[in-house]
Amino acid sequence: MPTEPEAATADAHDRELVARTLAGDRAAFEALVRRHERRVYRVAMALLGNPEDAADALQDCFLQAYRHLDQFRGDARFSTWLVRIAVNAALQQRRDRDGAASLDELMAAGEFMPARLHPWHPSPEQLYGRHELRRLVEQAVAALPEPYRAVLVLRDLEGLSAEETAAALGLTVPAVKSRLHRARLVLREYLAAHLERPAGLRARLLRAAAGLRDRVARRVLATMGRKP
Amino acid sequence: MTHSDILVLDCRQVLASLSCWLDGDGTAELRAAIERHLARCGRCRVLVDTTRHTLRLLVETEPFEVPLAVSARLYARLEQALRES
Repeated sequence: MPTEPEAATADAHDRELVARTLAGDRAAFEALVRRHERRVYRVAMALLGNPEDAADALQDCFLQAYRHLDQFRGDARFSTWLVRIAVNAALQQRRDRDGAASLDELMAAGEFMPARLHPWHPSPEQLYGRHELRRLVEQAVAALPEPYRAVLVLRDLEGLSAEETAAALGLTVPAVKSRLHRARLVLREYLAAHLERPAGLRARLLRAAAGLRDRVARRVLATMGRKP
Repeated sequence: MTHSDILVLDCRQVLASLSCWLDGDGTAELRAAIERHLARCGRCRVLVDTTRHTLRLLVETEPFEVPLAVSARLYARLEQALRES
């Protein structure tokens, strides 16, 4: 998530690109798309959970944004405005796909209790490569039930406020907060299974033991081989 | 303030306030009580640290990159739409 001044500078640039697009500069719109396609795709993935549907929602979102660009009033950040369009495009996509499935489908209620409470390896970047770590995070996010995934992505990844997230998803602010809380705990639990220090240590010991076993076995076999 | 006025939280209450704590929300009284609890509870410290770590990884690994083919299709479609407009 960018810092507040970075986000403000980025938003000023976005507004300038919006003004140029409205004045007929197509390259300016392309620049806007480049700056935000990743954000829109993430939101679409968060709501739809599969790459094909997310790709369709990505196209719809930017087509809608282009058609309605003159309605961007500038009382919110451009990125926030676009995220709302992305959410709507994704929800429309889902309605087309599943009929009437609603955002309010709840996963089993009740308190989530963290079970894994060992410290983590201090730098997971050393345990896993960058791509592997990203895949792990993607799997963890994908494993969240959908309403929780959407709230987590908008709040913690895209940096929308609780109020903006509530408005984008048609939820109340308390509902956003309680889902976010639970989403973070579930995500933490999933990652803990891979990043806890004892687990990492155990895995290393097991690998070392396996290596030792192999060496012993090879030596035994070699010894046997030498004997008639 | 007498001793009995000091807000004392158990682990379950700290868990319930975890997100609030990480987001910098909550009253000064609640935040002070969480801080006192964390000072003496290792498990809750691990919970806070690892949740913070989780959020850092979420942002830093930049998940869900747009596949190149998807991006190419998007640009082709937009170019067509812009020509038609």
